[in-house]
Amino acid sequence: MNDAAVAVIMDAVAPLRILAVEDDPRIRATLRLALEDEGYAVLEADSGESALELHSREDVDVVLVDLMLPGMTGFEVVRELRRASDVPIVIVTARTDSHDVVAGLEAGADDYVRKPFVVKELAARIRSLIRRSRGSEGGPDAGSSPGGPPVVFGAVELSPAEGVVRRHGEELALTRTEFHLLCELAENAGLVLSREQLLERVWGYDYFGEARLVDAHIRRLRTKIEEDPSEPALIVTVRGLGYKLVR
Amino acid sequence: MTSRTRGLRFRVTAAFALGALLLFGILGSSVYLFSYHYLVEQRERSLVGQAYADARVVRDTLARSDEVKEPLAILDRVPGSNAVVRWRGRWFGTTVASAGATVPDGLRRLVEAGSPAHQRIDRSGVPTFVVGVPVDEVGAEYYEMFSLLELDRTLRTIRNALMAGGALAVVMAGLIGWTLSRRVLRPVADFASAAERVAAGDLETRLAPGADPDLASLAASFNHMVDAVERRIARESRFVADASHELRSPLTTLATAVEVMEARRDELPDRARRAFDLLRDEVRLLQRLVEDLLELGAAEAGAEAGAAEPVRLDELVANVVARSAGAQAVTVDVDPCFGEPVLADKRRFERILSNLIVNAGTHGRGLERLSLERRGDRLRLEVVDGGPGVPDDERQAVFERFFRGAAAGRRASSTGSGLGLALVAEHVRRNGGRVWVEDRDDGAGARFVVELPWAGEPGTGIARPEVRA
Repeated sequence: MNDAAVAVIMDAVAPLRILAVEDDPRIRATLRLALEDEGYAVLEADSGESALELHSREDVDVVLVDLMLPGMTGFEVVRELRRASDVPIVIVTARTDSHDVVAGLEAGADDYVRKPFVVKELAARIRSLIRRSRGSEGGPDAGSSPGGPPVVFGAVELSPAEGVVRRHGEELALTRTEFHLLCELAENAGLVLSREQLLERVWGYDYFGEARLVDAHIRRLRTKIEEDPSEPALIVTVRGLGYKLVR
Repeated sequence: MTSRTRGLRFRVTAAFALGALLLFGILGSSVYLFSYHYLVEQRERSLVGQAYADARVVRDTLARSDEVKEPLAILDRVPGSNAVVRWRGRWFGTTVASAGATVPDGLRRLVEAGSPAHQRIDRSGVPTFVVGVPVDEVGAEYYEMFSLLELDRTLRTIRNALMAGGALAVVMAGLIGWTLSRRVLRPVADFASAAERVAAGDLETRLAPGADPDLASLAASFNHMVDAVERRIARESRFVADASHELRSPLTTLATAVEVMEARRDELPDRARRAFDLLRDEVRLLQRLVEDLLELGAAEAGAEAGAAEPVRLDELVANVVARSAGAQAVTVDVDPCFGEPVLADKRRFERILSNLIVNAGTHGRGLERLSLERRGDRLRLEVVDGGPGVPDDERQAVFERFFRGAAAGRRASSTGSGLGLALVAEHVRRNGGRVWVEDRDDGAGARFVVELPWAGEPGTGIARPEVRA
């Protein structure tokens, strides 16, 4: 039995709800079948507009967004969703090049999959996202939640147990992925973490994860916590090796 | 700068120098000849005049007395000149050496016959001018010898000055030609470097039209060509992107539906299950085929410009082997120097390596040995399998798309897309390297060798070549 199923049983009554934003009805239909097999409840949206409408109305745990949508593009959907909430977002792309992956991540997505995806892989991505998201709710069942005492670096105060980050005393709006990334860096403050290590620890990827995932999130994190994101003083790049949090 | 422009520039310079040489040669030799004749004539005339004057003194002296030595001593005033008198059949001279013998016979006969004469002779290395004057009144002949050393030296100085001036003129002309040709050829050099930038993948490159109408049309044609290339590449990568999307969408449905069915495979009746297995295998093959085709298309369109980034190649190799090679016993031999990050195109390197390993698995009875080392400015990867090897006449063809060798026409029951090695070749080419296949040293299998240019180590100041198109 897989983790998601375990999670479902723990929640007992309400299976986790996935909002699938996809204009191709056949893909939507098979996706629903496959994800229901994995124990999720699936909400369908065939356009960005209806996705935003559904999200505002329903409780959603994870959103899957196809980047190529008629009308409102996937990027706009991600940006709008991000404005309203920190719901985990996985973008789905059918393109070979990685420009739109990077653009989607910049817009605020947490992770991505390429078509044609293997459902097992997609389910693994969703599980990893949900683990992060549930962990941060701070309940006693949050096994994988980062814990420990508050950490202060510069004007930033990170409180893993509370799940909040403050800068100059003001709470920052970080997504769960950004929060976990920051916790991982803070836990190893002063040490260099390679992109591969971060991919594994934050996203649950093996060695071949996309390094751009890390880079895009680091960029977003910097715009939130650094005084001058173009001259980062807290999260520094160690050329050829990875990233390091300076205390 | 290419050798062609250097050649043209060399030719212009040489033409300038040659022109200067020719001009100065004619001018210089005229000047020399003119001054030679002028100086020699003048000097000879004055020497003859002096000899006459001296002869008159000798005549007067001899008319008064029998003593010859005294006037000769008086005469000995012209530096470097020697006077000789033949009187009553005897020679008298200022020095013993000058007595008689040095006067050439022809000259003596002329003077004996009563006509004055002069001649240029070489007296033991010294150019000498001999003047003979008959002194009939006293029945004597007077000879005077003048050294022309001074004149020769003057002439040599003139000649040397002219030659030095000529050499200087040639060098100056060459320099002018070199500078001038650089200015003239600068547009050509600009063209060459612009073309190189385009070839390296920088399609933003355009030439400034410039003022010269001839060059402006050339620049316009060049820019037009680059525009066309850029449009074409944009069209191709758009096609790849579109095709990618159009193929992937139905494949996504297929693959997902197969997965849903796979979970219920045991519920299927026997015949349906057998049909489903076929369907599943073909969908997976199709998926691999489409992935490889799209990857190849993207690689060829240069859509994914590979950039060198610092990579720990030892880790990369270990991970690819762990993922692709399965449970076989593999000897992995990675040079310890790859424990430090080096600059490499990580994605392409991973694709090259995993395709070679997959190829060893599908066609070579499995990967046996893998080695990675540095050889000078190249990085050498060897992938050795234990299969039948590749026959000589197929060693080029295996890197072609859908090449199936002896199994041509028969679709292998196996799993390869037929594009793996073509992908390897394309990625290697894009990285500026070479790939080939050879026999193993013991002849029991094939060895695929990839050589890639060494991009350097990060932070060593070695330029990071952006390996592109």
